[in-house]
Amino acid sequence: MTLITDAIGKMLGQRNILEVVVLGVNVALIIAFAILVDGFATLGNLSVILSNSTPLAILSCGMAVVIISRGLDLSIIAVMVAGATTYASGIEAGLPGGLALLITAAAMITVGMVNAWLIAFAELPAMLATLASAMVIMGLFRFAILQGEFMLLLPKSNSAVQILTTDILPGISVPIVVTAVVLVATWVLLSRTIVGEIIYAMGDNFAAARLSGLPVRPVTVVIYVWAALMAMLAGLLISSASGAVDFRMVTNGSLLFDVILVVVLGGIPLRGGRGGLRNIILGVALIAVLRNGMTLMNVTTQTQDVIKGIVLLVAIATENFLNPRDIETDTVGDL
Amino acid sequence: MSGQAIVKVKGAAKIYGGIAALEGADFDLYAGEIHALAGENGAGKSTLCKLIAGVTRPTSGTIQIDGEDVKFANPKDATARGIAMVYQETSLVPQLTVAQNMVLGRERPFNSVRQVRNAARQVLQSLNFKVDPSQLAGTLSTAKRQMVEIARAVLNEARVVILDEPTAALTPEETDHLFDLMRSLQKRGVAMIFISHALEEALNHADRITVLRNGRLVTTGDAADFDRAKLIRHMIGDDLEETGNTTIHRPSGPTPPVLQVENLSMGSMLNNMSFSVFPGQITGIAGLIGSGRTEAAKVIVGHTKRNIGGGRIWLDGQEIRYSVPSQAIADGIAYISEDRKQEGFFDTMSTARNIGLGWLAKFRGRRILLPRSQLRKAADEWRSRLDIQGDDGDKSVIYLSGGNQQKVVIAKSLVQNPRLVIFDEPTRGVDIGAIAEIRRIVRSFADSGAGVILISSYLPEILDLSDRILVAKSGTIVADFPREEATATRILHAAIH
Repeated sequence: MTLITDAIGKMLGQRNILEVVVLGVNVALIIAFAILVDGFATLGNLSVILSNSTPLAILSCGMAVVIISRGLDLSIIAVMVAGATTYASGIEAGLPGGLALLITAAAMITVGMVNAWLIAFAELPAMLATLASAMVIMGLFRFAILQGEFMLLLPKSNSAVQILTTDILPGISVPIVVTAVVLVATWVLLSRTIVGEIIYAMGDNFAAARLSGLPVRPVTVVIYVWAALMAMLAGLLISSASGAVDFRMVTNGSLLFDVILVVVLGGIPLRGGRGGLRNIILGVALIAVLRNGMTLMNVTTQTQDVIKGIVLLVAIATENFLNPRDIETDTVGDL
Repeated sequence: MSGQAIVKVKGAAKIYGGIAALEGADFDLYAGEIHALAGENGAGKSTLCKLIAGVTRPTSGTIQIDGEDVKFANPKDATARGIAMVYQETSLVPQLTVAQNMVLGRERPFNSVRQVRNAARQVLQSLNFKVDPSQLAGTLSTAKRQMVEIARAVLNEARVVILDEPTAALTPEETDHLFDLMRSLQKRGVAMIFISHALEEALNHADRITVLRNGRLVTTGDAADFDRAKLIRHMIGDDLEETGNTTIHRPSGPTPPVLQVENLSMGSMLNNMSFSVFPGQITGIAGLIGSGRTEAAKVIVGHTKRNIGGGRIWLDGQEIRYSVPSQAIADGIAYISEDRKQEGFFDTMSTARNIGLGWLAKFRGRRILLPRSQLRKAADEWRSRLDIQGDDGDKSVIYLSGGNQQKVVIAKSLVQNPRLVIFDEPTRGVDIGAIAEIRRIVRSFADSGAGVILISSYLPEILDLSDRILVAKSGTIVADFPREEATATRILHAAIH
């Protein structure tokens, strides 16, 4: 068995084997759906897949950066909904779109900074800090703005909402452009900036990063503010497309699960330090195709959840099988 | 040796990912002998032990127990044949008592607490080892935990006990006690294999010594036929001499200290510690593990800040108190950890990226984008200055040898051009060839006019390198010797009594 995996490993160089498996599965799925499902392999459906996956792609860019630093942001959906709510209230109150956006961004940056402060300065575990802040944000916004309701309707006729859904060119809508910009920005952040290099160092070995004198606290602030801004962008796109801000997206947890699914399936390990834009795209592509194909096949959301859960388990098990972490691989270097 | 060997290894080889960790090893072990394995890191000592203990399986070759071929699938099979392995990091469960740990894995559905305790007490007493069987294992010192593991092996009626660097974390007294214990096991006919980096231990306490080098068994012979020089010759294989005493003593003279520490206190670890460090000198700090040396270093660089009871620190006459290490790095103080895996290098990254991160920590300025060519230049310069081998491109440092990994960690700090470096056990887990090189690096760094603190538990290293030797004990400095007055005996006396 090790002979086979060694051979595959050599063929692919240093590349993560899971990436190849996921890519293979995705190609197989596309072929299968194209043959079995009417209307899957059409230009129209391609554009549906693209625009439906834009919020997921943007959220995944936020989450991936956090996870590469060996953090976790469970508040990302709550922040997304809070951002959309803030924007919607600004517009309701008659503010111009630009100003409403500025206020929203400022509010979400503050949320990101609070998360980062809890993690970097109060030194709480990221999982607990962001879980708690998600609850606080949810409760606060539903109480103060929605007066206990779950939904906030967005005036679709308002130009500040309309602009977020229009087509710039035929088939190329504002959400797709925003997503493309976000993907490029994520690549620049991770691969070309000093902050990105420090993010990898923190995920690889936090104690070493700190002792080497790297500015781990300021970078933590950048990471969680980045995640909050990504959440805000995704929230604006989702709510303007549906005409409503729906807080049940936080409570049913399915979107958060999808985001983590994208990151893990794309080949970014939760222990941090590895992965990049290629992995995000790979993960988004698989989930987007899977969701679209299953919906076209009239698979209910409940069944979809079951399938997605199984896919995650299979992916993690495959990765563990291909990259076993036992005594033998742990002790490379000190035989 | 007469009679049949308990363990007989024939032509054993173990290949990890195309690299032979052990090749063609023939080894045997007789009842009642203490057998030392010597060799540099990576020579194959641990691999040989793991094969015998069933932790890994040989790629080829056979292992015989009592003349009978065996194929262990896991350590449990080996235990059933009377083979026990005592690891460096002990495998006791801290929340269980000593007695419970001793029967762990062999409990019956209903264990009588009293029965278990009595059985444990009997074994402990017969080994003349004073520890309460109802004490929690987590409250024991490293030395005692190791001895509990040995006692467990006795209770399991082990006939072969393998000890992996048993003395690495022990004080001299504890070490003596351990060897007493091993001799009493020997009288019962138990065979023992122990790995040690302290050559004197092998020479003084073993009946036979086997030397391994680069995965091959070089020689086996009676301990009486070896001496230190011969052993080292076999271990390194060529005429490389053990590092000589090359120290040039520099008087502290009228130069002001680069670092001054006064009355530093922290919890129970540091107790009014005071000392100074002068530029251009190596200030060695000797002492036992737990004497507060590492803790003091971590307070100085801002790594530890909780529980500080007081004290003042001056760098070049200016008072400092850091809350994070990045401030210390900015001021030119670097701490090179004793634990390079946990706190030293970035293991998914190449040598160049590791060194580059050190550079970024100090010199990034207001840049936003990665200055790739500058990073590459800094990395290339330090790779050749410290002669870092084994990385011909972007291979991650995890695949380098211990010595080269340590050099990467040192380069990551020296690239920051610091004026004071604290080296904490810089040659721990490093092969003999690289030890000499690392010592030369430390020396030449001090010669360039910077201040150096050398924390080392290995006395010959302190004596060989230091211009001034401080001795730490219970969180305070108890002695300060100029180089010419320091002897191993005087240092040990100060450190222990």
